[in-house]
Amino acid sequence: MKRFLKHIAFFFFLAIIVGEVVVRLTHAMSDIPQRTIDESGIQKYYPNQEGYWKGGDHKWMINEMGWPGQLPENYEDLVLVIGDSFIENFMNPNDCHQAIYLKENLPNYNFMEAARSGVSLIEAMEIHEQLDSLRPKHTLIYVNDYDFFESIVEVRPMRDITQLDLEKKEIVYGEMKAPVFKKVLYNWKLLYYFYNRFPINLSLKSDNEQDKTDVEPRSNELQSKDEIFELIDYIATHYEVNGKSLVFHPNSNEDIIEKCKQVGFNTIRLDSSNDKDWTFDYDSHWTCYGHKKVAEQVSDALLTANMLKE
Amino acid sequence: MLFNSLEFFVFLPIVFALYWGIGSKHIKAQNLLIALASYVFYGWWDWRFLSLILFSSLVDYSIGRALGKAEKTSKRKVLLWISICVNLGFLGFFKYYNFFIDSLVSSFTFFGSELSINTLNIILPVGISFYTFQTLSYTIDVYNKKLEPTNNFVGFMAFVSFFPQLVAGPIERATNLLPQFSVKRNFDYNRAVDGLRQVLWGLFKKVVIADNCAKYANMIFNNHTEYNGSTLLLGAFFFAFQIYGDFSGYSDIAIGISRLFGFNLKRNFAFPYFSRDIAEFWRRWHISLSTWFRDYLYIPLGGSRGGTKMKVRNTFIIFIVSGFWHGANWTFIVWGALNAIYFLPLLLANKNRVNTNLVAEGRYLPNLKELGQMAITFFITLIAWVFFRADNVGHAFDYLKGTFNASLFSWVEIFPTTILGLLAIFLVIEWLGRSYEYAIENVDFMKRPVRWSFYVVLIIIMFLFTGEEQEFIYFQF
Repeated sequence: MKRFLKHIAFFFFLAIIVGEVVVRLTHAMSDIPQRTIDESGIQKYYPNQEGYWKGGDHKWMINEMGWPGQLPENYEDLVLVIGDSFIENFMNPNDCHQAIYLKENLPNYNFMEAARSGVSLIEAMEIHEQLDSLRPKHTLIYVNDYDFFESIVEVRPMRDITQLDLEKKEIVYGEMKAPVFKKVLYNWKLLYYFYNRFPINLSLKSDNEQDKTDVEPRSNELQSKDEIFELIDYIATHYEVNGKSLVFHPNSNEDIIEKCKQVGFNTIRLDSSNDKDWTFDYDSHWTCYGHKKVAEQVSDALLTANMLKE
Repeated sequence: MLFNSLEFFVFLPIVFALYWGIGSKHIKAQNLLIALASYVFYGWWDWRFLSLILFSSLVDYSIGRALGKAEKTSKRKVLLWISICVNLGFLGFFKYYNFFIDSLVSSFTFFGSELSINTLNIILPVGISFYTFQTLSYTIDVYNKKLEPTNNFVGFMAFVSFFPQLVAGPIERATNLLPQFSVKRNFDYNRAVDGLRQVLWGLFKKVVIADNCAKYANMIFNNHTEYNGSTLLLGAFFFAFQIYGDFSGYSDIAIGISRLFGFNLKRNFAFPYFSRDIAEFWRRWHISLSTWFRDYLYIPLGGSRGGTKMKVRNTFIIFIVSGFWHGANWTFIVWGALNAIYFLPLLLANKNRVNTNLVAEGRYLPNLKELGQMAITFFITLIAWVFFRADNVGHAFDYLKGTFNASLFSWVEIFPTTILGLLAIFLVIEWLGRSYEYAIENVDFMKRPVRWSFYVVLIIIMFLFTGEEQEFIYFQF
C-alpha cells in the first residue's frame, strides 16, 4: 500500500507539473489581469498588463490608466465609453473594441474606454466622476437591466460591486472578493482550468466570465420598480446627467428607459433584431461583428440626435 | 454521481482510504462501508429510490434464505416466482408502464375505438435494469442450486448496490461477485495499478471518444433532413463510437475501480468492432447482458436444441427481449429484431461459432478476408444502431432513406478532423491491444518513465479534447 500511495503521489505531482506546462503553452485558460482598488474606491486593473485570451488567438491589454483597450491619441473632443464586460471585451482582439469602431465612424472625436466586468450603473457613474478631469465632451454608458438591479444593495447585495444603499442614501464601495484565492487560482493555471471545468459553487467564477444575462429570467414586468426608480432619481440628483447617454442592450426594459429619459439622460436603444451573429455561440458577449453593429447604431444615434454638439 | 465528475473524484479517494484503513481483517466493516458508500453514490442522484434497492435486496435475501430451507419443488417454484414478479414488477412499472399504456391506446385507436387511460409521470430510477437483473441472478442461481444462499445481509446489500457497477453494469452474476464479499480482500499493488490503468482508459473512451462523437452524432441525427447520405452515414458512424466509448468506457471504469477494492468483475466488452460476423459481435458486446439472457432465458427456452422452428423462435425472443430491456420504445425492439435477422442465417447454417479465436492472431494486420468480414459486420451493426439511436421507428426509416440514395456518393458535409484523428489513434491502440482484457493492459513492456509519460499524455488529451460532459447513455437503461 505504501508503495502504491508513494507512486500515486509522485505520479500526480508529475502530472500537475506537465499539466501546468501544457495549459500555459496551449493557453487553455485565459490570463486574468490583476486588479486593485484605487483611492476613490474604484476597482480597476494594474496598469500596463497584457495576457492571452483563452486559446491564445489574441492578447488583451490594460493601458497605462488601468483600463482595457487602447488610449486615444489625444483627449480633445473626448467621448468616454463606460461599461461592463461587454466593453471590457477581453474576448475580442484589441482592434475590435467599441472605441476603435466608434472612431472609424466618427473620426473627429476621440474615444476612451473605461470598463470592467461586473460594473454596475452606480459604479459607472463613479468612474465617470473620476475621469471628469479629462473634460469629456460626451459619455456613453452601456447598460442592461441587471446594471440597475446590481446597483442597489436592497435588491441584490453584492460585496464586490459598488452599490447604492437606498435606505442610508450612501454609496457602498465594492471590496476585492477572495483576493488571495483569486491570486492563487489565476496564477496556477491548471487549478484554474479544473475550477472552470468542474465548477464548484463558491461564487468565485472568473469575473470575465460572469454572464449577467443568465442571472435572472427576463420578464416584461419590471421587478423592484420602486427601488430602481429611486436609484435613477438618486443618480439624477447626485450626478451630472447632461452630456451622458445610456446605451441600452437589446430587449432592455421599457420602463427603465423611459424613467432615464425623464430624468434627463439621453438614451440609445440597441437593436440586434435577433441577429445571432451579434453574440458568441458559447456566451452572450458580442462578437467583433456585434461590436461593429453596436458602434454603427450608437454613431447613428449620436449624429441623428445631435448629442455631440451639446 | 458520475464517474467523470468532481464529486466522484473526491468520493473515491475517501472511500478507498476508509476501506483499506479498516483493514482486510474486518470484512464485515468493509462490506458495510461499501454498502453505505454505494447508497451515498446512488442517493446523490435521487435518494428516494434508495428504498427500491433496499426493498429489492430485502426481498431477494429473504427469498434466498427461504429457498435454502425449502425442499419441496412446488414451494421453491412459488418463491422463485415471487422474486421474479417483484423484481420484474418494479422494472415493468417504472420502465414500461407508459409504453404499454400508449401502445394499448394506439391499438384501440387503430381499430376505431377510444380508450381513455392516462399515462403517469414516472421517473425512471437510474440503473434499475442492471440491479434488477443482478438480484434476479442470485435467486435463480439459488433456486437452481448453483449457489448457496447467503446469510450475510450486509454482504448481500453490498453485492446488490456495489457502487462501481450499480448503475450501468457489468451485470454481475451472484456466483462470481457475491462470494467475494465473504472472503478477505488483500491489497495488491499490481491489481490496484492495473485497476487505475483501466479506469484511465475507460475515462479516455468516455470523455474523448464518446463525448466528442456524441456532439456530431446528435447534430446529424437531430437534423437529418439537412444532410446528404454520406454525412448521415458518418452520423451513424459517430453514434457507433459514441455508444461503444460510452458504455465500454463505463465498464472499464467500473472494473478498474472494483480492482482498487480487491474485487474482480467480469469482462463486458472484448473489442466488438473487430468482429468478423454478427455472432462474434454478440460474444464481444455487452457480454454480461448477452450471457445473462443466454443462461436465464435462451437455454431455459430450449436454446439451439430442437428443430429449426424452435431455433428461430428462441433467437427472436432473446434478441427482441434484449432490445426491449434497453428501453420502452419500438426502436429498441426493431433493433433487437434486426440483430436476430442478422444472426439467424449463421445459426441455421451452424456457422455461429466459426470465429471464436482472435482476429489476425499473432499478426499486426488482418488479411483482406478478415478486413472485409470486419467491415461488413461493422456496416450492418451501423444500420442497426440507427434504430437504436433514432427517436422513433419513422425517424430511423427516414434516416436510412436519406442515407441510401445517390447523395451517399457525394462528399460529407461535416468533416471534423480532430475527432476523426483521435478516433484513428484510438482504433490503432485498440487493435494493438485486442488480445488483452482492455487495450492498454499490456504497457508494462515500456520502461516506467515512458509508461508514465504515456499515461500523462492520455490525461492531457482528455483535458484538451474533452467533449461536452454527457451522462453515460446506459444510465437510462
